[in-house]
Amino acid sequence: MKLLVVEDDNTTGTYIARGLREEGHSVDLVTNGRDALIQATASHYDVLIVDRMLPQLDGLTLVKTLRGAGNQTPALFLTSLGSVQDRIEGLTAGGDDYLTKPFAYGELSARVAALARRAPTIEQETTLHAGDLVMDLLRRRVTRAGVELSLLPREFAILEHLLRRKGRVQTRTMLLEEVWDISFEPMTNVVETHISRLRAKVDRPFKTELIKTVRGAGYRIDA
Amino acid sequence: MTARLPAILRTTPIRLALVLVAVFSVVSLLSLGATYFITQRSFDQAIRADLTQDMAGFASAPGPRALSQLVEAESRVTDPARLVLSYLGPDLRHYGNAVVARDDEGYHIITDIPDSPQIEGDYMALTASLGGGQLTIARSLDEIAALREVFLRVLGLTLIPTILIALGSGLFIARRSAEHVTTIGRTLDTLTGGRLEARVRPAPNWPPDLATIGSRIDTMAAAQQAATAAIRQVSSDIAHDLKTPIQRVAVHLAELAERDTLDPPARQALDKANDELDGIVATFHALLQIAQIETGSPKAGFAPVDLATLAADFCELYEPAADDAGHVLTCENTAPIRVLGDRGLLGQILGNLIENALRHTPAGTDIRVAVGRDGPDVILSVTDSGPGVPEEERDLVLRRLYRMDRSRTSPGAGLGLNLVASIATLHGATVTLTDAAPGLRIALRFPPAPH
Repeated sequence: MKLLVVEDDNTTGTYIARGLREEGHSVDLVTNGRDALIQATASHYDVLIVDRMLPQLDGLTLVKTLRGAGNQTPALFLTSLGSVQDRIEGLTAGGDDYLTKPFAYGELSARVAALARRAPTIEQETTLHAGDLVMDLLRRRVTRAGVELSLLPREFAILEHLLRRKGRVQTRTMLLEEVWDISFEPMTNVVETHISRLRAKVDRPFKTELIKTVRGAGYRIDA
Repeated sequence: MTARLPAILRTTPIRLALVLVAVFSVVSLLSLGATYFITQRSFDQAIRADLTQDMAGFASAPGPRALSQLVEAESRVTDPARLVLSYLGPDLRHYGNAVVARDDEGYHIITDIPDSPQIEGDYMALTASLGGGQLTIARSLDEIAALREVFLRVLGLTLIPTILIALGSGLFIARRSAEHVTTIGRTLDTLTGGRLEARVRPAPNWPPDLATIGSRIDTMAAAQQAATAAIRQVSSDIAHDLKTPIQRVAVHLAELAERDTLDPPARQALDKANDELDGIVATFHALLQIAQIETGSPKAGFAPVDLATLAADFCELYEPAADDAGHVLTCENTAPIRVLGDRGLLGQILGNLIENALRHTPAGTDIRVAVGRDGPDVILSVTDSGPGVPEEERDLVLRRLYRMDRSRTSPGAGLGLNLVASIATLHGATVTLTDAAPGLRIALRFPPAPH
C-alpha cells in the first residue's frame, strides 16, 4: 500500500514510517500541513495518517480541505487530546478513524490495514471458513472438524468479526469498539478474558490453534 | 401575586419604607405629645386662675345675704355644664345652679335639669368658706378633653397618609426592582450552570444601582469566559506538549523491545517501564477528560440513551473478568430506561464503577448493577458486599486524586470516582455513597429524559 504520514514530531514520524515500511508499505513522511496538502493532491494514497496538531495547516483543516476537493482517501487521525468531543470533531471533519497518543505501533498498523480494506469488500457470504472451522451465519451454527460448538451470542460475534477480517490483526480496542460498540479503555483485561473463553471452545479441544495472539497488538485468524 | 407578597415584603425598598414609617410615627408622636402636654398645662393654669378670680369676686360680697343673692343671680345666667356655682349658706340653705354631692366614688355634680340630673365630665373645683357658709366654684375641663381629641385627630391625619405613601411607593419600587433582581438571578444561575456566555445586559431604564450590579456581573462573566477559554487552551497545549514526549518514550521503549539481545532482567525492566507508562497515560487521559468535562458544555450532543441495555452490555463485558477474579457480577435486567446523555460517557461511568468495585473488594465479593426508577428519576447503582467505605470518607472518595489509605497498594490513580462525579454532574445527576451493610452502594440519580 501507499501511505502518507503527516506528523510534525520527528521521533514519532520516523518510527511510524519505519514500522510501516518494514511491513512492506511504501511510505511518504511530511512534517507540516501544507506539504501534506500538496503531497496528497499530487499523488494517490491508500491511507492518510494525520496528526491533528500540525504547523501551518492543522490536521482537521487538511482533511476537510481534501474532502471538499473530492478526495476520499481514508484518513486516520492521531491526536493528543482524545476526548469524546475531539473524536466527534475529527470524524465530522471527514476522518475515518481516530487514534489517541501515545499509541502502540500494533494498534496503528491494525487500524491502517482495516481502513485500507474497509470500503471495497462488503462480504455477502452466508458461511465463513477458517481451516476446519465453518460458521453458518443463517442458522447461527459453528462447527469445527464436524463437531458443533456451543457459543454464547457474544462469543459468536467475536468469532464472526475475526473470520470476516481473516489475516488482519484486530486489537483489543478495535474489538471493543466494533463488537461491543464501546469506546472506552478498560483498566482490566476484559477483552482477553472473553477471547480466552472463546478459545476454550474453539481451539482447546483441537490440535491446531486458529485464534492467534499477535504480541503487542491483538488477535488474528490466519487466512 | 399573593404567593409573591411575603417575598416582596422582605425586599430592601419595603424594609426602608417600614423603617421610615416607624421613625416618622415616633417623631410625630413625640412632637404632638409635647405640644399637647404644654397646651394642656397652660389651659389648666388658665382655668385655675379663672377659679381664683371668680372666688375673689364672690369674696368681695359684704355679707352672707349679699353673697347668696350674688350666687343666685350668677347661677341664673350660667350653664352648669361650663361653670358650677354652689353655695351652702350659714342658714344651711343651698344656692347655685348645681349641687356638689359626695359619695364613695368621689364628687358628683347634680343639677335640677330634668332627665339628666348628674353632669358627666371632669371639673376643676375650688371651695372656700365665705360669709359663714361654703362656696364651691367648679369649671368644666371639657375644653381640655376636646383638645385631646383634636390632637389625636391631627396625629391620625398626619400618620395615615405617611404610612400609605411610604408603603405604596416602597411596594412599587420593590415590584419594579423585583423583575430586575429576577433577571440578575436567572443570569447568575445560567453562569453557575457553566454557560458562561450568559449576560444580564441591564436596559437604560433600570434603577442605577441595579444597572451597576448588572453590568459588573457582565464584566465578571466576560472575564470568567476569557479565563476559561485560556485554561482550555493551556490544557490542550499541555496535552500536546506532554503527549509528544510521552509518545517518544513509548517509541523508544518499543524500539528497545524489538532487540533480540535483551537478557531477561532487562526485559523485565522494560515491561515495568511500559506498565508505568500505561499508568501515566491513563492518569493523564483522566485528568484531561475531567478538565474538559468540567469546563465544556457537550450537552448539545446529548441524545436519549437506554441505560438498562448499556448496563447489561457492561455486565456482560466484565462478567468473565469478574469471574476470573473470583467475584460474582450480576445485573438486574429491566425494560429499557432512557436518560438524556452521551452514550460514551455514560459507559465510562459504568466501566469505572464496575472496575472500582472489582479492584477494591476481595475475591468472593458480590457486585450488583441495577437500573431502575424512583418516581420520575432514573437510578443507576453499583452495590458490592465488600469492606465498604467509612462514612467520613464517602464524600472524599469522589474528589480528585483522593485515595483511601488501604487502597494505596492497589493500582489506580484515584481519578475513577472523580471522573464518575464529573460525568454525573454534566448529566444533571447526583452521586451518593451509602452503606450496603456490608459493602458500598454507589447510586446515581438522573433526571427523567424529556419526551
